[in-house]
Amino acid sequence: MNTNGDNSSQITPVIQVSDLKVRYGDKSALNGISFDVHKNEILGIIGPAQSGKTTLLKVINRTLELTSGTTVEGSVKLDGVDISTINDVYGLRRRIGMVLPLPVGLPLSIYDNVAFAPRTGGIRAKSELDEIVERCLQQAALWDEVKDRLDTLGTKLSGGQQQRLTIARALSHQPEILCLDEFSIAVDPVTTMRIEDVLDTLRSEMTILLVTNLVQQAKRLANRTAFILNGDLIEIDTTEVIFSDNPTNQATYDYVNGNFG
Amino acid sequence: MQSIALLTLGAVFIPVWNVLTKTHLSDVQTSSIARVSDPLPNLLSDLYLFLSISFLAILLGVTCAFYLEEWLPQTNWIRRLVESQVALFSGIPSLLYGLLVVTICLPYTGAFKAIEASLSVENLDVTPLSATAFQGDTTLFYAAGLTFVLLVMPRAIKATQEALRSVPMPIRESAYALGASQWQVLMKHVVPLAIPRVLAGGCRAMSCALAAAALFIGIYIWGHTTQSGQMSSSFALFLGGALLLSILSSFLAERYPSVSM
Ligand SMILES: Nc1ncnc2c1ncn2[C@@H]1O[C@H](COP(=O)(O)OP(=O)(O)OP(=O)(O)O)[C@@H](O)[C@H]1O
Ligand SMILES: [Mg+2]
Repeated sequence: MNTNGDNSSQITPVIQVSDLKVRYGDKSALNGISFDVHKNEILGIIGPAQSGKTTLLKVINRTLELTSGTTVEGSVKLDGVDISTINDVYGLRRRIGMVLPLPVGLPLSIYDNVAFAPRTGGIRAKSELDEIVERCLQQAALWDEVKDRLDTLGTKLSGGQQQRLTIARALSHQPEILCLDEFSIAVDPVTTMRIEDVLDTLRSEMTILLVTNLVQQAKRLANRTAFILNGDLIEIDTTEVIFSDNPTNQATYDYVNGNFG
Repeated sequence: MQSIALLTLGAVFIPVWNVLTKTHLSDVQTSSIARVSDPLPNLLSDLYLFLSISFLAILLGVTCAFYLEEWLPQTNWIRRLVESQVALFSGIPSLLYGLLVVTICLPYTGAFKAIEASLSVENLDVTPLSATAFQGDTTLFYAAGLTFVLLVMPRAIKATQEALRSVPMPIRESAYALGASQWQVLMKHVVPLAIPRVLAGGCRAMSCALAAAALFIGIYIWGHTTQSGQMSSSFALFLGGALLLSILSSFLAERYPSVSM
C-alpha cells in the first residue's frame, strides 16, 4: 500500500509521518497513514474533496489543536523530533509556512501582513522589516505590482494578488517547509502559472508540500505525489509512476485520469 | 439552568409586586400624599445614574463575551451557564423591560398621587423629595438598577459573541499558522474585523436602555394628566402577563430549538 519511491541512503527525511490517525469527534478523517517527506522535494498531495488533505497539513503545523474535539494518534517527526513534544508551538509554526486557500482575511496593510510574523518573532528594526517585506514580495512575484502602495489593505487586492500575498506572508518567517493548500482555487490560470514558477524556484531552498485539486499541477511540479482517499494513503511514489499507465493501485489510475467515482 | 434566570426575575419582581399592591390598596390614605411636589428632576438624576450603570454594564458584557468566547471552551460550565441565561434574558422584548422600569419607578414618583393632588391643589406641599426619589426604599432602587443591567448586559454579550463568531475560522487559522499567540491573533486579526459589529451591538443595547428611560418619562407625564385611578392594577396585570409569556416563549425556544427556528 505504501511504496516509497526512491529510498537510497542520501535522501534525508524532513518529515516522518507514522501511523497518523485523526478523528473529529467520532468521525475519522485520517485512518493511520505513514510516509516520509524528503528534503528539498515538492511532494504533491492529491485526492478528492473531504479525503483529509487539509487535515494532514493542520496536523503538521499543529493548528488542528485549535479545533476542539479532535484526537490525534501516531506521530509526526520534524527533523527527527516528534512535533507533539515541542513546547514552543509558535516557534514550530514559524518553521512551517502555510498557504491557505482564499478567502483568508488579510485585515492588515500589505506591509503589515508580510511583517506580521517577523514582528511576532521579535524583529523590530524597520530596515530589517523593509528588507524582509521586499524579499518575500519579490519571491511571491508580487513586488512590482504593489511596491508603490504597501499601506493599502490586503483585502483591496485582487484574488490572485491576495493569494500571492499569502505566499509572501508564509515565506516571511523563512520556513524550512512550505505547505500550500489548494492555492489555485481563487486564482486565474495565468497567475497560477506564475505561482507555479515561484514554487519551482523555491524548491532549492525549502521542502514543499503541495496539496492540490488540480492533478495536472502535481504532475507539472511534484517530485513525488501522494494520493489520499477517504483518510487512507492509497499510494505515494515518484510523480512519473503515479501518472504512468500502471501505478500500483487502480484507484490512483482512475483518479489521475479523471474517471473517478 | 433557566431556573436561575427565573429566580433573578423573581427577585426583581417581588419588590415591584409589593409596591404595586401597596399602591393599589392604600395610595389614597398614604400620609406621603402631602409630599407631592414634582419629583421628576430627582427621578431624572436617578435615570441618568441608571443609564450610566447601563453603559458600564455594556462594557462589562463585552469584556465577558470576549473572555467566554475566546478563552473558555464550549463545554465549560460557566460558559454554558452564562449563555443559557443570556439566551433567556435577551429573548425578553426590551419594551417589557421598559415597562418594568416604569412599574418600579412610577409609584414612587407620586404619579398616581399627583392625580389626588390635582384635585386638591391647596394640599400641595412643596417640601422637595430628598436627593434621590428612591430614598427610603433601597430595594426598589436596586431593582430598577438591576432591571437596566438585565436589559443591556445579555444583549451586549450576545452581540459580541456573535460578532466574534462571525470572524471566519480561516482568518484565525492563517494568523496562528504565522506563529502568532492567541493574544496577537485576537488583537491584530479578530478585533479589527469584529469591532464594528460589537459597537453596533453595544449601541443597540444602549438604545434599549434609553428607550426604557424615555418610556418611563412618557408614562410619568401621562400619569400626571390622566384621571384614571384604576390604572395600576390592570397595568400590573398586563405587565405581569407580558413578562410571563415572553419568558415562556424563550423557555420553549431553548428547550425545543427547532421550533423557534
Ligand atoms: N472542523 C471540522 N469538524 C468536523 N469535521 C471536520 C472538520 N474539518 C474537516 N472535517 C472532516 O474531516 C474530513 C477531512 O476533511 P479535510 O478538510 O481534511 O479534507 P480535504 O481533503 O482537505 O477536502 P477538500 O478538498 O474539500 O478541502 C472530512 O470528512 C471533513 O468532513
Ligand atoms: Mg481542504
